[in-house]
Amino acid sequence: MSVGHIARAFEKNGISTVVIATEVFKEKLISMSLPRVLITPFPKGRPIGYPGNRRQHLRVIKEALNLLINATESKTVLTIDEPYLSKD
Amino acid sequence: MDTFNDFKNSFNYGKRNNLNFKFMSLMTDDEAANFIEELLSLSGELLNEGNIENVIEHIFQGQKFAYSSPSKYVYQEGPFNPFIPKLSDAKIGLLTSSGHFVAGDDPAPFGISDMTQQEAINRISEFVKEKPTLSFIPKDTPVNKLCVRHAGYDISGAQIDPGVVLPIQELSTLEQQGIIGELAQTVYSFVGACSQGKLKKEIEKKWMDQIKEQCMDGIILIPV
Repeated sequence: MSVGHIARAFEKNGISTVVIATEVFKEKLISMSLPRVLITPFPKGRPIGYPGNRRQHLRVIKEALNLLINATESKTVLTIDEPYLSKD
Repeated sequence: MDTFNDFKNSFNYGKRNNLNFKFMSLMTDDEAANFIEELLSLSGELLNEGNIENVIEHIFQGQKFAYSSPSKYVYQEGPFNPFIPKLSDAKIGLLTSSGHFVAGDDPAPFGISDMTQQEAINRISEFVKEKPTLSFIPKDTPVNKLCVRHAGYDISGAQIDPGVVLPIQELSTLEQQGIIGELAQTVYSFVGACSQGKLKKEIEKKWMDQIKEQCMDGIILIPV
């Protein structure tokens, strides 16, 4: 899991990280003990959401930013409740 | 004549290659048969009053089932760097393993510029042994100058809308709204299907220093 290595390296170098990943990779990412992970219930290759749904993408990213600033300890994992085919 | 085992495995870089369904090679024959049977059933329902959401959900559940195993890299403890500044004052970075690059700045894997997605797929076994190349993408890059090539996942969603894996526009919107202080001037992408050992060395030897030059307070990382 390439991005997991990068997250760990950044944190050790003083840069806070948040990973946004599809639930498909949840178990792999959890096993790497990453600081902050936002899980999205979306298919592989579309972790931020449905193509063209800008409002959905913004909701996902805002949730990730909230996790970035509010997590108080490592291995904080949240799952966003957001349908892939969101109507708005 | 293919056996069923040959058939379901052929979606994984075989003669029926399909990166959305390559996960079937990780299933037993019975598991793959059940997956396909249900997929056909749900597809058939679309002819009447079926729901496309059920088809998508079934594919998603199949992916989850097939890929649900721990990483080869298991750690008990995780590093943690608290996020200190106000978000509205913070510089936020973006790095993805989506395989994006700017037109005219092709990372040219194996020395080949303009490699097609199909050529990349044909060389997946070489990619996973190769050192990754970090692409630097200015945040004001026009969408029509963004290219994507990655042998490990179906890039069709990213081709329609880079925002599904590389949300530059979305982060720029948050910058304009004052929700974040700023998006770092350069965002980054590489092909995640690479040698993990060589990746770790590249991060330590080169990438970290290059990225730290931007003095980011935090960074969003997106695997595909």
